[in-house]
Amino acid sequence: MLLCVTHKRIYRDANGGSRLAEYCVETRDLRREYLNRNFFGKVKSRTNALSGLNISIKYGELFGIIGPNGAGKTTTIKILSTLLLPTSGSAFVLGMDVTHDLYRIRKRIGIVFGGERGLYNRVTGLQNLLYFSDLYGVPPSVSRKRVPELIEMVGLTGRENERVEKYSRGMKQRLHIARALVHDPELMFLDEPTIGLDPAGARDIRGIIKQLKKDGKSILLTTHYMFEADELCERIAVISKGNLVALDRPSGLKKQVRDITLVELHVYGDSRAVSSSISELPSVSRVFSEDSGDRTIIRIQTPDGSEVLEKAKVIASQNNVRIIESSIKEPTLEDAYLRMVEE
Amino acid sequence: MALEVSRIQVVKASMVLTARNFFADPQWVIPSIIAPFVFTLVALFLFSNVTGPILLYAVLGGGMMGMWGTTVYGSGESISFDRWNGTMECTLSAPSPLIWIVLGRVIWNTLEGSINAIFILVIGFLWFRVGVSLADPLLFAASTFVTFLSLSAFGTLLANVIVLSRKGGFITNGIEIPVYIATGTMFPIGLLPFYVGAVSYSIGPTWGIDAIRKAAIGSYVGQLPFSIFVDIAVTIIITVVYFAMSSVLMVRVEKIAKRNGTLGDF
Repeated sequence: MLLCVTHKRIYRDANGGSRLAEYCVETRDLRREYLNRNFFGKVKSRTNALSGLNISIKYGELFGIIGPNGAGKTTTIKILSTLLLPTSGSAFVLGMDVTHDLYRIRKRIGIVFGGERGLYNRVTGLQNLLYFSDLYGVPPSVSRKRVPELIEMVGLTGRENERVEKYSRGMKQRLHIARALVHDPELMFLDEPTIGLDPAGARDIRGIIKQLKKDGKSILLTTHYMFEADELCERIAVISKGNLVALDRPSGLKKQVRDITLVELHVYGDSRAVSSSISELPSVSRVFSEDSGDRTIIRIQTPDGSEVLEKAKVIASQNNVRIIESSIKEPTLEDAYLRMVEE
Repeated sequence: MALEVSRIQVVKASMVLTARNFFADPQWVIPSIIAPFVFTLVALFLFSNVTGPILLYAVLGGGMMGMWGTTVYGSGESISFDRWNGTMECTLSAPSPLIWIVLGRVIWNTLEGSINAIFILVIGFLWFRVGVSLADPLLFAASTFVTFLSLSAFGTLLANVIVLSRKGGFITNGIEIPVYIATGTMFPIGLLPFYVGAVSYSIGPTWGIDAIRKAAIGSYVGQLPFSIFVDIAVTIIITVVYFAMSSVLMVRVEKIAKRNGTLGDF
């Protein structure tokens, strides 16, 4: 059984007093710049991966970071897991400074990188886990008991003695998670753990993440998949070009785009005139048309869903276009995300 | 509760994993058996007109080449392997100081190199009928052991280069032959220009190889004008200096790689 963690920690401050820490991760104006140098070492260009990130993650929280490629998600995780130094600003993990307390932090965190890399492919899954147990100083008597438990938890029982090169991508990803748990960390960093997995494999991983949360782990998850962030995370930070664009609960982020209620019409007949007329309505911000077999789907972005739907029905009728199906949809996290990132 | 990392546990785990990876790849026979064997054959054919101590000199040189070749290749490759495999960051995210992980790998590579050396010596003894009598078996064993440690220490120094950058492979690959020459493995360093001598004397294995030959061949004068005990002592001192330098450098190099963001490059 994996150990549970409490949701607050007591730390000694510089004056010898104690304080109750609510956050397992805190970043303050965190910046990271990459320098691209030529052969002679002269700086050719600079890339700002993080431009002053401020986030705080509570103990026991499942916190998500979403953002487009190059937004700074992986850079954030690498800094927090002591694998990369920030250019400026500060970051504290479990109350410790990531630039000074490397080994103390590493003993208490687990990192899962997405993708197939990061495992020793020529040896077995079991041998991978035992090796990393040794690197984390887990006594052999403990790892002999814990490793089979982890193998069972990630659903690799019966395959643990096969070489990792024979594993499917989903199995490798599950082994990644088991590897990150060999020392029973309090805080886990999951960097796009479902990337490239088929739907069933991704669902398995999400199930494991939910279980980790139940076990009391604090988790920082980065992902490209909005539904995944929506399903798993208690709070989500949206970052773009190294900047924090929004930080809220998934429901809160969706509220920010209430003005983009989506009206969807499935119609028969020539809908070009209908789309054109609808787009001229005053409260409509955008209209998309898409042919789908024998019908056309018209999607209308507007803050006044009901009113626009009624007007659209009238326009369709005037143009002899039959509406087969109509609906008003609430904005999804993806709608909110796209709006924030595009802005 | 935070765990205490045992250095012995880390070194052993690293050694075992390197051995498992090594045997899992069938290509291991090329750098580990075939290449040093060919080197030794060439040397033995060059010395085919001579017998006795000189032939033993050549065989011992071949053995040392086997050990050194495997050490330098293995030390560089074991870290490069982590870069290619994407395990570099996972390895570094563990709370074990990198020097202990690298040491485990280098010890395995040197051990495997010493097996090559023994293999080459056996071929020399059987095929070319080189005399098997050693002048001082005890000192021969002691010299071989300290040279083994010295090669391991040299390997950890080289591994720093690979941690720093993926381009480090050029250096570790390029250093193999110059070190054969500088350490007097195949040719006495007295034949080399004066300025090369300074480099030779700063390399631990130079002293170790000389000690091995002095212990094996009774009539061998030595390329260094000292007694075998001085050779062994200097080998130990240089080995300790190498390890100390590696420990300091490994921390420094890791920090530079983290600052430059090159740990994940492959």
